[in-house]
Amino acid sequence: MAGPRFVADPPEAVRTVAIETLTALYHRPSGTTHILAPPAPQILEALAGRPGDADALLRRMEERFDLASDDAPNAVAARLAELEAAGLVRRA
Amino acid sequence: MSASDDSSPAKEGFAPSRRTMLALGAAAASTVVTIRPAFANTAVSVLNCQIPVPSPDQAGNYIAADGSVVPPGTPGAFPPAPRPLTGEEVKALLHNGPTPAGLDADAAQAYVKYIGRLHAGTSGFTCFASLQMPR
Repeated sequence: MAGPRFVADPPEAVRTVAIETLTALYHRPSGTTHILAPPAPQILEALAGRPGDADALLRRMEERFDLASDDAPNAVAARLAELEAAGLVRRA
Repeated sequence: MSASDDSSPAKEGFAPSRRTMLALGAAAASTVVTIRPAFANTAVSVLNCQIPVPSPDQAGNYIAADGSVVPPGTPGAFPPAPRPLTGEEVKALLHNGPTPAGLDADAAQAYVKYIGRLHAGTSGFTCFASLQMPR
């Protein structure tokens, strides 16, 4: 599957603060603040300055995490769609 | 969020592991909430705001394909936008919409990359930031 490639801004473009299980993220380029639940912060980290499609993203995350999902491809696509809508990832 | 754990006999058992379980969530779940600054409420002006490419202090410079501002005439780079782009046009471009009238399609992509690099204090930033707000 060769879907669209996404990229997130590099770490220096965001400021994050962990709030228990959530993450508050200030996105400097847009000046907006977002509250993220897992796995959104992990996805941003995996794509920070490193473009990749959904498959590449899954592989990167699998290197660090045991992923739990009934349907990983659809779940990741849904997460990417919301991050794109929020302006936190864009098509590379 | 359904965290359907791996219930098969574990490949790694309960051996100490540095790996963390991460639930990807259901497709319908939501993991992002955006906090809207007050200026996002001015929805009408958002679409009419303008973004000069490049900003006036860099007028005349070209825009490279990666969105960086380069000296005029740089090979492979595009001339400045003939007019400021409107918020509406940029919003469409950000969503892979049509190229605005009068613009070359490749140049428009470079302009969008330039706009994506805008930061607070540069001309057009507030307009761009407003466009980032989910409806």
